[in-house]
Amino acid sequence: MNGLIALVPIPTPNMDLGQIAPLEIVFGAALISVLVEAFVRREGRRRVQLVLVFASLIAAVAALVGLAGTRTLTAQASVAVDGPALFMQGTVLLLAIVGALLIAERSIDPAGDAFAPRASALPGGREERELTAAGWSQTEVWPLFLFCVGGMLLFPASNDLLTMFVALEVLSLPLYLLAGLARRRRLLSQEASLKYFLLGAFSSAFFLFGTAMLYGFAGTFSLGGIADALSGNAGDNGLVMLGVALLAVGLLFKVAAVPFHQWTPDVYQGAPTPITAFMATCVKVAAFGALLRVMYVALGGVRWDWQPMLWIIAIITMLVGVIVAIAQTDIKRMLAYSSIAHAGFILLGVIAVSEAGIASTMFYLAAYGFATLGAFAVVSLVRDSSGEATHLSQWAGLGKRSPVVAGIFTLFLLAFAGIPLTSGFTSKFAVFSAAIAGGATPVVIVAVFASVISAFFYARIIVLMFFAEPAEEGPRVVLPSAFTALALAIGVAVTVLLGVLPQPLLNLAQQAGIFLR
Amino acid sequence: MNIGTAVFAQETVLAPANGTFSLIWLLIALPALGAAILLLGGRRTNAWGHLLGVLMPVASFVVAAFLFAAMLGQPAEERGAVQHLYDWQIVGAFKVPFSLQLDQLSMVFVLLITFVGSLIHIYAIGYMAHDPARRKFFGYLNLFVAAMLLLVLADNYLLLYVGWEGVGLASFLLIGWYQYKDSAAVAAKKAFIINRVGDFGLSLAIMFMFAVFGGVTFETVNAGIGSASEGTATWIGLLLLLAACGKSAQFPLQAWLFDAMEGPTPVSALIHAATMVTAGVYLIVRSNAIFDAAPTARLLVLIVGCISLIWGAIIGCAKDDLKKALAGSTMSQIGYMVVAAGLGPVGYVFAIFHLLTHGFFKAGLFLGAGSVMHANNDKINMRHLGALRTVMMITFVTFGICTLAIMGIPPFAGFFSKDDIIKAAFSQSPVAGVVTLIGAGITGFYMTRIFLMTFLGKARWEDDQHPHESPAVMWIPMVVLAIGATIGGVLMWPSHWLETWLEPAVPYQEHAQTLPEWLWIIITVGTALIGILWAVALYRREVPVTPPAGSLLTRAAREELYGNEINETLTMLPGQVLTRSSVFFDNRVVDGFVNGMAAVVWGVSGALRTVQNGFARSYALTMLGGAVLLVALLVLVRL
Amino acid sequence: MTGLATVMLSVIDTGEQITFWICGSLALIGALGMVLSRKAVHSALWIAMTMINLACLYMAQGALFLGMVQIIVYTGAVMMLFLFVLMLVGVDSSDSVVETIRGQRLAAGLAGLAFALMLIAVISRVTLGDVGTQGADAVYGGNLQGLAALIFGKYLLAFEVTSALLITAAIGAMILAHRERIEPKKEQKDLSKERFLSGEHPGSLPPPGVYARHNAVDTPALLPDGTLAENSVPASLRARGAIRTVDRALGDEVQQLAAGDGSLEGEDLR
Repeated sequence: MNGLIALVPIPTPNMDLGQIAPLEIVFGAALISVLVEAFVRREGRRRVQLVLVFASLIAAVAALVGLAGTRTLTAQASVAVDGPALFMQGTVLLLAIVGALLIAERSIDPAGDAFAPRASALPGGREERELTAAGWSQTEVWPLFLFCVGGMLLFPASNDLLTMFVALEVLSLPLYLLAGLARRRRLLSQEASLKYFLLGAFSSAFFLFGTAMLYGFAGTFSLGGIADALSGNAGDNGLVMLGVALLAVGLLFKVAAVPFHQWTPDVYQGAPTPITAFMATCVKVAAFGALLRVMYVALGGVRWDWQPMLWIIAIITMLVGVIVAIAQTDIKRMLAYSSIAHAGFILLGVIAVSEAGIASTMFYLAAYGFATLGAFAVVSLVRDSSGEATHLSQWAGLGKRSPVVAGIFTLFLLAFAGIPLTSGFTSKFAVFSAAIAGGATPVVIVAVFASVISAFFYARIIVLMFFAEPAEEGPRVVLPSAFTALALAIGVAVTVLLGVLPQPLLNLAQQAGIFLR
Repeated sequence: MNIGTAVFAQETVLAPANGTFSLIWLLIALPALGAAILLLGGRRTNAWGHLLGVLMPVASFVVAAFLFAAMLGQPAEERGAVQHLYDWQIVGAFKVPFSLQLDQLSMVFVLLITFVGSLIHIYAIGYMAHDPARRKFFGYLNLFVAAMLLLVLADNYLLLYVGWEGVGLASFLLIGWYQYKDSAAVAAKKAFIINRVGDFGLSLAIMFMFAVFGGVTFETVNAGIGSASEGTATWIGLLLLLAACGKSAQFPLQAWLFDAMEGPTPVSALIHAATMVTAGVYLIVRSNAIFDAAPTARLLVLIVGCISLIWGAIIGCAKDDLKKALAGSTMSQIGYMVVAAGLGPVGYVFAIFHLLTHGFFKAGLFLGAGSVMHANNDKINMRHLGALRTVMMITFVTFGICTLAIMGIPPFAGFFSKDDIIKAAFSQSPVAGVVTLIGAGITGFYMTRIFLMTFLGKARWEDDQHPHESPAVMWIPMVVLAIGATIGGVLMWPSHWLETWLEPAVPYQEHAQTLPEWLWIIITVGTALIGILWAVALYRREVPVTPPAGSLLTRAAREELYGNEINETLTMLPGQVLTRSSVFFDNRVVDGFVNGMAAVVWGVSGALRTVQNGFARSYALTMLGGAVLLVALLVLVRL
Repeated sequence: MTGLATVMLSVIDTGEQITFWICGSLALIGALGMVLSRKAVHSALWIAMTMINLACLYMAQGALFLGMVQIIVYTGAVMMLFLFVLMLVGVDSSDSVVETIRGQRLAAGLAGLAFALMLIAVISRVTLGDVGTQGADAVYGGNLQGLAALIFGKYLLAFEVTSALLITAAIGAMILAHRERIEPKKEQKDLSKERFLSGEHPGSLPPPGVYARHNAVDTPALLPDGTLAENSVPASLRARGAIRTVDRALGDEVQQLAAGDGSLEGEDLR
């Protein structure tokens, strides 16, 4: 490099702030939330944080509604504003609002909210007891929550792999922390957090490796650029195959597909239940959004290569999910395996490679998300003296003691099992028919078989709740405050509504089901 | 559409409901709201529950009358209206419009249901006055009215099915009202199970329709039936007939009706005489296009009607229980309607006509029976009644009028409707004609027997029986119904109004008159008179308190002609043989397979759980294995 | 491997090739060493070696700025901070290397090998297009300028969002490690007040007695008036009742002792 270098001015980046308004609102609120932690007195923090969180999430929803129908690439083409992105972002935001209701709850546990009064205190030590007695709480949960939501908004909308990777990390890191903050069973919670962190970092490495491979092939991170490179390249290219496989590892880890699923039961069980609920729903939505975008936009040209791979992943995910769920004795672990199985069902929508596939996947995510939030909300209500009573034997005869709560839980289980007139049936039907139309009939046959097995273990819990004799000294159902009650009401309403009147949302998903390149 | 199919299908595309007709939904909503308030409101509504319960069907009747008036103001072909509420899209192509259809046929039913229903609600205020759960009773009755209205207002078979199951549910709940009695609980279960057989037919028919025509609205089916094969039409027709048999207590699914008399008498009057049991007739008439396209199925309808007509009448002759004798009569009279429906376009109108008049006089008879029960400590065995004329004048007179009506004595309503059916039957099939005529004779016999044993003769009361007239809240409805039973004939005579009224919705075809009118009157009334005189001759004498042994036929009729036993042998015995053999098969083969599968699943589950050992490094290894798998899959696919 | 080598050869000149093989191998060795060493400090040093070698590779490819940043920020700052922390935790602490899961090592080794083989097999068949930074550098007139254009232009959003990551990390560190005081720190004055107000013995307790024949902790001291000072014996012994009694010596015994008669030796003063 000899001679004088001619300096070329860097052009001012073109950022249309209006088009990423939801993202800005949430990240801005997260930053303010950090400042609140620093400057507002301890007693007032919770109230300020709650106002900030709900106001910002609702404002973000409003901004999103304002963007409805937009189809453009923004922020130097690193963010796509199109139907699927807006739909996924909307789903994430609405689920996050319900999730925030659960996180804000603090009248279920006599000691306060679901989080440790101070994460750094020795579990079970004197300091922890004193802090609990003094009613301290870790309000840092809120900035972390908001950062996480911000990452989730960016993840399914990222239009290049670099932005996507940053978004992945932004959404993951707060979750690793939040998972370790449970008030009860601190050690289990910390173990869950560490495991999630280690394995999450491992999966991120795969994602990055895959990104490097695709960059090596296409010379660009942009999804559209990769697609162009693929359409221009007739011959086979090993880098693409490696890139697809390794990217898939990173994304499938986040959606908890087998064999990248093993963190799920441990983390779901250890994390504070509201966080589990948030994680089980929003992460799935965001990750499936990203998976769909990568697979459809960037890698649509090699779909004949990755379709069989996802076929096999979907099949083993569904089977492992339902089969292992049968043997579970802990309700949170059971729900974790059920969520793994559902990841398999949702993958059916991905392998359809069609607009119907996108629409059915998005519908499934919304329907499943609300039912799951509700189910975990119920789990947080059933308690004994040591905290949540998650062992299945403790749920025996719950229907006799608290018919309403047991009835609500039954509704969610029926939705998970895909019984008609619940949202689960509609969503299963949608992905199954999309997959059949996409030529994946063998996978659908396995899916139906898996549904039957799953109906068995959901029914087992219903039978246990309503027909078994209540255990002596069994748990009691705590009356929640308005936060959880509202979350439950929303969960029930959406589950029934999407079962009886799925058409409006299906239509919306169908209208939204076209990616922009 | 070619000319051949034009004969079958009435292509009346109904106008969307607007103006007055946008009130259609209110017909159902009012009683449904009543049921919701009464059943969910709990004890708080005890004080005024029965009044609300009465108000709702009355309000519904007012709306119906309003709509009727509006309908009269329209030209005949514009009288029908469809109110589209919303599309109930169950997913994908399976879409069912949630629409209500009010045409002339529905209108007739709506008026009958709301009018008779209101009267019976009023009656029940007095009848159920001492029941601690009277509010709940009214809740169930309102539920029934709502479901029944949904049944007749649905514009498609699926929604009709919802109403169909709704009335079944209400019927089940009300038959078992006195659930502390074993007999009532068993009766409720029996009604439920036998009705399932019929409902199974209806649900199969609906699936069949969806598969063949791609939709389940009346319009779609009527339009499609013309181009369907006769075999298809026959299958659908037979399934619909099965459904009608279950709901309308027709042979061979009649056994539940006699036990259903365990329910409170207003229930017997409303559900098991005037309205619900006629749903089968409604179904057949509503599906006339299907039966027109399937002569075999229609013939079977005729045969079922004939058998039921005689069967029920014979049972009615032998029962000593007043309500069960009337139940036999109900089966027989519905048999008449089914016969009429089985005659095709010649008879549909008469089926509906008889259904209307029957709704009046049979409800009147049951209310009279209820009044008798109310007065006699719930005694219903006619051998312990008698001579009630002296103490229950109003009941005596109204019951007498309704009796004359059902026997077909002019100028009461039953004369016109039954006469029409007999004439139409003779014009189509002499056998059916003879059967209906014999039926008329037997009707005269058993009704006279009932009347004599209950109201005339000597008092055979037991010591604790102190008969008295019922309160006004009970006798006023009886009087109204008796008036209806007296003048109901005006619907067809002298103007033939009903024919022309139903014309666009229900096809009508004039049948050839073989004999002059006056001769017909002599024949039918004469036959009835023979029956009456025979009964008078038999029961004029003292009635023994303990039933005599009786002839073979009497004994058989007391046992409901062994309907239960026939059902058992026909369905249960082969069922049991099948069950036993399949249990064997099940234990050895299926269980082996299923248990084996369960064991495999359980084993795999256990094995997979050991993989879940809790160590992050082990999980990471699995992930690495997964990554290797994915790379291998992609590379292998590529190779 | 020949395929890979040809690819490299075709694009890179010999000097770079030599650099690649040396630094690449060293980076790999460093990575393996980091994973395989038992002591955390050793691991940290191994990873520093990997990073330095990577920096060399960057520089060899013409990405001078990136190479320098790699050395200054990662090797210099981050890794040294790491080492400090490790020193604070304790240099000697080492992980147990006993593998408790049967077959884990073998399976991990095989899977790793399979993965590596597959990657090598695939990459060795690959033909790369435009390799090197020359083309990219030319657009904005240099490597550094090109990097700046990317960070502050094309990837501005990603760059900004990265700040969320850093803030999250900072909050996380706070949550996991920071302990805010619940109550104000006690001064010496407060402590002594507390001591006197408690009503217990404010000073230090008397030591156990020291006698000619006994000076064990279970022997109580004598107060000036000759009574036993029970609190001179540790509370646990008191609770067990294992206190020796100290009797006044009898006159004749004293005389005996004075006479040098040791016959009492070995007996307890009971």
